[in-house]
Amino acid sequence: MPRALNFDRVRSELRHIAATLGLVGVVTALLIPVIEVSGLRHGSAAYLIPVLIAAVRWGIVPSVVAAVCGVVASAFFFYPPRYSLQISDPHEVLNLILFIVVAVVVSQLATRLKRELELSRQREIDMRDLYAFSRRLAVAFDVSDIHAAIEDHLATIMQRKVVLFAGAREASMSGGQHAGTSIPPQVLAAAAETALEPRDPAGGLTVTLDSGEVWLVRPVSPRNLELGVIAVNFGRESPERIDELRNRVDAVLADATATLERLGVAHAISEARMRSQTDQLREALIGSVSHELRTPLASILGAATVLAAAPALANEKKLKALAHDVRDEAERLNNDIQNLLDATRISSDGIKPRVEWADPQDIVNSAVDRCRYRLTDRRIALDLPADLPLVQVDPVLVQQALVQIFDNAVKYSSPGSQIAVSARAQDGRLVVTVSDEGAGITADEHPQIWKRFTRSERHTATTSGSGLGLWIANAFIAANGGKITAASAGPGQGSTVTIELPATQAAVPQLETDTDD
Amino acid sequence: MTEASPIVLIVDDETQIRRFLRTGFELNGFVVHEASTGAEAIRTATLRPLDLVIVDLGLPDMDGIEVVERIRSWSSVPIIVLSVRSSEAEKVRLLEAGADDYVVKPFGMAELLARVRVALRRQMRAVSGEPTVKAGPLTIDLSARAVLLNGTRLALTPKEYRLLQVLAQHAGNVVTHQHLLKEVWGTTHLHDTHYLRIFVRKLRQKIEPHPDSPRILVTELGVGYRLAQPEADNGAFAVIQSAPLQAPAKP
Repeated sequence: MPRALNFDRVRSELRHIAATLGLVGVVTALLIPVIEVSGLRHGSAAYLIPVLIAAVRWGIVPSVVAAVCGVVASAFFFYPPRYSLQISDPHEVLNLILFIVVAVVVSQLATRLKRELELSRQREIDMRDLYAFSRRLAVAFDVSDIHAAIEDHLATIMQRKVVLFAGAREASMSGGQHAGTSIPPQVLAAAAETALEPRDPAGGLTVTLDSGEVWLVRPVSPRNLELGVIAVNFGRESPERIDELRNRVDAVLADATATLERLGVAHAISEARMRSQTDQLREALIGSVSHELRTPLASILGAATVLAAAPALANEKKLKALAHDVRDEAERLNNDIQNLLDATRISSDGIKPRVEWADPQDIVNSAVDRCRYRLTDRRIALDLPADLPLVQVDPVLVQQALVQIFDNAVKYSSPGSQIAVSARAQDGRLVVTVSDEGAGITADEHPQIWKRFTRSERHTATTSGSGLGLWIANAFIAANGGKITAASAGPGQGSTVTIELPATQAAVPQLETDTDD
Repeated sequence: MTEASPIVLIVDDETQIRRFLRTGFELNGFVVHEASTGAEAIRTATLRPLDLVIVDLGLPDMDGIEVVERIRSWSSVPIIVLSVRSSEAEKVRLLEAGADDYVVKPFGMAELLARVRVALRRQMRAVSGEPTVKAGPLTIDLSARAVLLNGTRLALTPKEYRLLQVLAQHAGNVVTHQHLLKEVWGTTHLHDTHYLRIFVRKLRQKIEPHPDSPRILVTELGVGYRLAQPEADNGAFAVIQSAPLQAPAKP
């Protein structure tokens, strides 16, 4: 044991002994008047109280001290001749010997109880950590989730800053930023090297920075590099302390790897990796297929419109109708492909909104405009006050979300029914609602409507669709810091989709708006 | 249209697209030249008199935007760009490079022809020095600095007039936010789109019959504004649409 630790322990022991003495003093002070008044002679049993307290709270040494002090105080204060350590009656001597035996046995028992209590408390904490850890592992979807779980688990049990690198690539590419904290380049280099070819897989290597901070870099498991490389910040410590911490890290990691292996983490990691590769492949496939499909669509659609307007077909109603069919179906296909492309964009690159000040009226009008032909046999009721606040959003994304909502409203309502669009400013937000008189939403469908590729079984037979529309709308609105919700009074009662966007007042200096050139 | 047939150059590397564009234009009385590469397009543009150029953005030898810039360096011939569902940023870039307008693939022939007519009319006006621009019930007299709605003169603030003037100079075509901000407020306010939004609202109150569904001062979401113009041949007051797939409704 290093000296520093011993010194600390002695100091706290001394503090406990002092507290014990204090307790004995308090008991004595309380006993003296009681004995004086009542004339009782055997007060020594009361000294079991400080013995018990000291044993339970501070352990064996203070409790023995309490027992001895209790004997001395009894002899001095209560047994005749009083105020002297001499004891005249041999019975009293026997009493005191019995007292000391009882006190020591009790303090032994109490100390053991205390130790077991602490042990079981620690075990409970460990179990809780482990349980939380295994639960996180169970819901971890990809490798990075698993690594984050390992990282947090190790940080909890070691009480130090812990950074886990999934591999050499992550270590060299993270650019010194990892989960929001900065990591010195020397540590990154060491981690990258260790991930590729550990010099000392079991012990790892320490990196001492110019500032005096010491980091330990080592594989989580010397046997399984799949589990990653860990870097622990020891801070500024003496060499002896570092050695001690390293031993602790070894112990904790040996424990943790055993757990990780038992939980099948390595297997989970490789499985998650495979899953993400499959996802990537699917996205890439959808992306390239959609792109390839669009090129011929441009020719098909263009040619169909030329044909439909050709003078040769001017009097050929049926042929003209055929050309229009080709055009309409090409448009429909184009919309479906557009949805697939949007979906790929959302899940692969994420959406990067081009934020600007926009007039909500413009956004709604242009969305209605884009759907004009799909909305021809619906009654559109627009309610757009002239004094709506400007919003800072990507107007095109919001418009596309609205188009999806209109599309949906048309799909699930009958010709001639009304679609009402209104916009309001409310508590610093812009609220746009789209209400239809269509099929509505059942309680079962409600949690499903925002999910990808989800379509209600009520409608699969009667309407076509990919189940992407509302999912895309949701993603586009969320990318603008907004929120989208749906409500319905029930099946056949129509539904209302509400978009909320943050609206802050645009600052326009009055001078700028009305001054002349 | 003019007495003589307008001459159009179609620049696209896909045979099928060129074929339907050629047929569509010829049926509407145009003379058509074709080019399948950027280099060929630039060569043709230097050698032949042209009234209009249609350029596809994705060419095998160079970016369509480069073709626009090169032709624009010596010629003011109207250029309309065909792009795949382009981002708004790309549309702005195209317009700033000197393109007059853009059409997003896939598009219908009617949509493209509407754009083409607007571009040709603007070119004719520029050549003849015609000082008045008509947009539905609105007449903008650029020489007298007067704006009339159904024959009645409107009172506009100088900035409102300036905004309308810039739009009128490009009547029918999209003018980007940046261009409008620079022309009306100067280069220090290039990113203050909200000035523009508030001014357009005020202007619409004065010039639009229905300010909440504007038909004259039309928004091009994420790009800019355009002053919509009636179709020359049938005299109908039609909004020219920017979004793809705006072919006429099913018969």
